[in-house]
Amino acid sequence: MDPHFADVPENPGALASQDVSVDVKSEQLSLRDPRAVLSLLEADQVVAAKRRTHFGRKNLSTGTKALLWGLRIYVVAMLVIVFISVYQAVHAAR
Amino acid sequence: MNAPDKNPSQLAGHTAHPTTESAVASAAAPELIGLVTHEDVDRARDRWEVARARVKGRTKTFGGFRLLWLLVGPGILVFLGENDAPSMLSYSADGSRYGVGFFIPFVVLTFIMGFIVQEMTVRLGAVTHRGHAELIFDRFGKFWGFFSMGDLIFGNFLTLVTEFIGVRAGLGFFGVRPAIAVGGALVIVVAAITTGRYWTWERITLSLAIFNGLFIPAAILARPDWHAVGHAMLTWMPFPGGNRYEILLLILATIGATVTPWMLFFQQSAVVDKGMQPRDINAGRFDTLLGALLASAFAIAAILATVPLFHHGINAADFQAAQFAEALEPLIGHTGAALFALGIFEAGIVAAIAISTSSAYAFGEVMQTGHSLNRPLREAWPFYLTLFGSACAAAALVLIPRFPLEFVVLTVNVIAVLAMPPALAFLLLLVNDPEVMGEHVNGFWANVAGVTVTILLIIAGLGFGLATVFPKWLGG
Repeated sequence: MDPHFADVPENPGALASQDVSVDVKSEQLSLRDPRAVLSLLEADQVVAAKRRTHFGRKNLSTGTKALLWGLRIYVVAMLVIVFISVYQAVHAAR
Repeated sequence: MNAPDKNPSQLAGHTAHPTTESAVASAAAPELIGLVTHEDVDRARDRWEVARARVKGRTKTFGGFRLLWLLVGPGILVFLGENDAPSMLSYSADGSRYGVGFFIPFVVLTFIMGFIVQEMTVRLGAVTHRGHAELIFDRFGKFWGFFSMGDLIFGNFLTLVTEFIGVRAGLGFFGVRPAIAVGGALVIVVAAITTGRYWTWERITLSLAIFNGLFIPAAILARPDWHAVGHAMLTWMPFPGGNRYEILLLILATIGATVTPWMLFFQQSAVVDKGMQPRDINAGRFDTLLGALLASAFAIAAILATVPLFHHGINAADFQAAQFAEALEPLIGHTGAALFALGIFEAGIVAAIAISTSSAYAFGEVMQTGHSLNRPLREAWPFYLTLFGSACAAAALVLIPRFPLEFVVLTVNVIAVLAMPPALAFLLLLVNDPEVMGEHVNGFWANVAGVTVTILLIIAGLGFGLATVFPKWLGG
């Protein structure tokens, strides 16, 4: 690939035969052609592509679920302790 | 071109996977051509600059600096943003109550912990091009996602309140009325976000963030004992004496001044908004390291600036930000005290911008609405409304007479530490997920470091909880 060009397409698809490369040595950039925009971005960076594709839901093992629940209980219990102690501290100061 | 988002039917339901394939080379390219948005164009423009710098960097001496200049930002911002008003207050409390000693190397340790954690968000963002909230909802479902968001939004809002307390207190030293100080800060937040361009927003915020360095001249004016600083760095001594519960609380607050959930969400989303790609990961690491180094230097400077209070036996136990500056004035002079007050003001402003942006990114990702600073207001008004609305609500609370501000300041860093282990668990699960990370999955030592940080935070939190419930265990 010519290093003067950014993300030059190498796809075998419909666009392969069209000149959509962007000369990165040029001082001027024209992004009027959407293909020039797409040539500079990775497939998953385009907003339209990203909005309609998602990483699927992960199957959580029993151990992972236990870990997440344990940490959740930890946070709730600790928050209760924090609020009680700070409330007492503020009132004691007054 | 520049069309608002449409829903390309043929793309619907596809499973995402880590790829470095160019968009124009992808199978979806024919569909995407008609769906390119303003956000895509701005990001492509940024990528063109990076590509040019990368090519020129190979041929010109110092050409690599241009590339680094373009790619740094999220890492510096996240660390200098976290050197916020309550954090600088915590460091000031460390210095004024215990002098030069244990807390100097301890602060460095917390920034090492921060770097370990934040480096993972760089990789996640660059590889997946998705924010942290979005990935948690995608991979773990709404149930765990909303828990995670609840922690974030709650913690962010409390922290935002403390930033405006810092703004009010910092300018209060110069006699500025609270309403004018807080109103002025809101104007700066709005000015930064109305550029409609991530790059401009990032550079404006970086320009403000560098003023976190005001603590360095303030520290120099306090004439620190550099021999004692060197001794403390090597030996971690002297260890603080006195009330062990208060020491534990300060240790927790100091950790919370460096490692917090909003940092994970913010840096990952900023990496995505900046358009970073897997080939930029090393530059992202450098950015994060530079941010951690700068922030730790400024944090240590805040400690050193307040050490004269310790030497003069001034009780700073209940000091707020402005009171530190006022108490320092006879000891380090008006210039030093003014620098300290300005530093607190700056810390509040930059953090208010970064934290409100973090909330808005997460909200946009979860609600699947536009969530980029590259979007014009009309295309992403819920994103900007969340950003501005959260800042306005926090600012308004600070102006309410007799609102328990000290309650918020005391709790905010402690809550940050307590909420961090679940956030780190999600982070570690994501960076170890090959379906998400591909070849950039966590290595053995990154996992050892990440799990160690998580365990340390849990131990610190449990220690605090036990000391609160059973104060006699610590001789309280």
